[in-house]
Amino acid sequence: MLGEVILVGVMVGAVYALVTVGYSMVFGILKLMNFAHGDTYIFGTLICLTLLAKYNIHPVLAILIAAIAGGGLAFLVELLVYRRLRAPQHRLISMITALGAAYVVQNISELQWGNQVMSFPSIVESKFVTLLGLQVSVTHIITLFVAVLCIAVLILFMRYSRYGKAIDCVSQDMDAASLMGIPINRVVSSVYFMGGVLGVVGGVLYSSAYNAVSLGMGFRGTLIAFTAAVIGGIGSLGGALLGGMILGLSENLIGVYVSSSYRDPLLYSLLIIMLLVKPTGILGNSDQTKV
Amino acid sequence: MPILETRDVTKRFGGLVAVNQVCMTVNNNEILGIIGPNGAGKTSFINALTGIYKPSSGQVFFQDKEITGLPAYKIAKQGISRTFQNLRVFSNISVLENVLIGAHCRIDNPFHHIFLRPLRSRKIEHQAYEKVIALLKNVGLEEKKETLAKNLAYGEQRILEICRALASDPQLLILDEPCAGMNSMEMDTLADFVKKLRNEGNTIVVIEHNMRFMMTVSDRIIVMTAGAKFREGTPEEIRNDLEVQKVYLGEQEAERC
Amino acid sequence: MDMSFFESKMGRGLLFGGLTICLLLTPTFVTDIYILSIFNLMIIYAILCMGLNLILGFTGLLSLGHAAFYGIGAYTTAILMTRFGFGFVAAFCASAVLAMIAGIIIALPTRKVRGDYFCLITLAFGEIFRLVATSWIEFTRGAMGIVGIPIPKIFGLQIVTETHFYYLGLGILTFTYLTLRAITKTRYGRAFIAIREDELAADTMGINTSIYKIMAFSIGCLYAGMAGSFLAVYQTAVTPSNFRLEESCLMIIMVIVGGMGRNLFAPLAGVAVMTVATEVFRSTAEYRMLIIGLIMILVLLIRPQGIFGSSSFKN
Repeated sequence: MLGEVILVGVMVGAVYALVTVGYSMVFGILKLMNFAHGDTYIFGTLICLTLLAKYNIHPVLAILIAAIAGGGLAFLVELLVYRRLRAPQHRLISMITALGAAYVVQNISELQWGNQVMSFPSIVESKFVTLLGLQVSVTHIITLFVAVLCIAVLILFMRYSRYGKAIDCVSQDMDAASLMGIPINRVVSSVYFMGGVLGVVGGVLYSSAYNAVSLGMGFRGTLIAFTAAVIGGIGSLGGALLGGMILGLSENLIGVYVSSSYRDPLLYSLLIIMLLVKPTGILGNSDQTKV
Repeated sequence: MPILETRDVTKRFGGLVAVNQVCMTVNNNEILGIIGPNGAGKTSFINALTGIYKPSSGQVFFQDKEITGLPAYKIAKQGISRTFQNLRVFSNISVLENVLIGAHCRIDNPFHHIFLRPLRSRKIEHQAYEKVIALLKNVGLEEKKETLAKNLAYGEQRILEICRALASDPQLLILDEPCAGMNSMEMDTLADFVKKLRNEGNTIVVIEHNMRFMMTVSDRIIVMTAGAKFREGTPEEIRNDLEVQKVYLGEQEAERC
Repeated sequence: MDMSFFESKMGRGLLFGGLTICLLLTPTFVTDIYILSIFNLMIIYAILCMGLNLILGFTGLLSLGHAAFYGIGAYTTAILMTRFGFGFVAAFCASAVLAMIAGIIIALPTRKVRGDYFCLITLAFGEIFRLVATSWIEFTRGAMGIVGIPIPKIFGLQIVTETHFYYLGLGILTFTYLTLRAITKTRYGRAFIAIREDELAADTMGINTSIYKIMAFSIGCLYAGMAGSFLAVYQTAVTPSNFRLEESCLMIIMVIVGGMGRNLFAPLAGVAVMTVATEVFRSTAEYRMLIIGLIMILVLLIRPQGIFGSSSFKN
């Protein structure tokens, strides 16, 4: 029993990590809490659902289209809503506009798909295999595999490509990066696009693993990504992975051994406690204000 | 008799020693200048005195009481008031309110009095208002009391910041680079103003780059470099000290002088 | 716009007098129960937003959990009156105090945590409150909510009709305004503003910023508790869906649309605009969030100081 719970936890953790990585990158670059993150990737996930269920498109192609749609939406939100409020003195204002953007995206999805829970088709045939004496679903293993693969590709991209380095520069010091000739707007846009793409992939994986998707998962997803990012250290890639993993595991342990209706309250309490005890997260570093 | 005394005050940021075992005293009713090149640790030292940073080691005594490591608001209540090198007036509110906020810790109006003794509360607030108006008159900002602080000229904002610091009736006033960004005319006005404040009985510590300003204003000067106290003396002594000139201007320039 | 007339003493007196008479006589002119119920709704939001203005407009703290404190007030009154036989006055006071205590606890982190992280804490708290109210069935009756809250009595007077509730609400609103005015005219109000403008400078003015932030936040929550208590007896029922994040956002938007800061009445303009707007668009309820969201974005992009705002956001 415990073995299975932990395995599912690791799978969920990997998906959360994927969603959180996207969120954390976006936060790192503009220091802005993107409240629309969850609703954006649910939008993409719902598109994927329509493509799969209505048009019977091949899953890989469907995910690809959905991911691009989600990324495009994230890009649009940044362009229309966040760009003008980028300066640090607008940080609180931009949080409110971000919430507004979340509502708009959520409402648009609601108009199209409604707000009830819908069943999401399994992308792969749901079979169980016995692995090290544990009953394991193939879907979970593939989900875990895809999530880890995406994260690995992202890490390689961030570390070794020119673009990844540019992103790093912009998130450290936007003005300096701009003076070095890095096209800030393009970098920010592409980070939002990538965040959206990763989110949609995470959303599709999660939905197909649980065979369900609903609009409510959007804002919950945002909060999960926040919590995971804060636990691991906001803005740090490794932190996002760690935070996602911790959250996925504890969510499943709480759900099974405590109570599923108190799962979310306990997770949000974790967020509050973490912000109180170590707001920089496990892997984040502190910043001293200059006077 | 010294009003402020520091003993071996040190402030480290990680491996960097920003302030290194500084001992100094400030005497009653004098203007003490602290000079030194960029990065000498002057502002860090002041921040450690006023509670913005906690000193890593050492002690600070103010009027024979130890204030080491107290939070900034407590130190302000004890009677040390300061301005900032990068001008921190409350820009979106009026000049009058800026100065009233400066008087905050001298307005003896407990919260429950607002409701339980409203007349007393109102009287106390009005007294503070009149005191602030008098102060504004003294610095020539009375006519602009309803102007938003951000709409004042730069020099006026500097004066406002000093005025706000004065509103708390400080025993010690610390000015952190008051001339930054001023032209020479504004600087002369400021020098007269600071001297006037001293003549009215205030004790003032000034941190500045500008040598000309410091030489006209200070009664005594401390030179800091690389976080440590380097020299102490009258403006005359400091001016003629070759070592100081080297620190300040670099070797070649000093020889040319 | 030329505001000098309204800023002169006589102009102000006239304005206030006229406004007071209008407000007092409203129920004699407005006999339509529906319109009066909208007035009552506005009064509830007015109390909430005046309190929120102290937090957001004065002190510059963004609270995304204000609905939770509103909910604490409502649930306290509901539970005390249905289960423990409390009278309305006692339940009302208990609600206000409890909401304030919750406010103090939630505001404690402001001592350590940066502004946007604090905002996350309030957001998480709001969600926790709503989820607990939905899940703790034995105590809150879950998503069904608590129904059958008895008719409130104040010193023997029964509050039954819309008109009665209108005057009760107006009384609470007047209390809110008068106390807030008294507080904000003193050094306390100025200290809150100083924190919004520049926290570090405020600190060096001798303002204990952590205490003052907690103070502003909890006072704002006190009024939210009162509004919640009023809502409970007015609706005779409370459900968790009354206190969603959406409500917190709506309040923030009301305050911002009206204008944050010194002018205590400014948020009321936002309350009026937004309440009427939501009523007008009631037939298109499926676009509700879209409209709220768009207003949130557009107002902040175009005119962040609001209709009557004196100050902009913390910078």
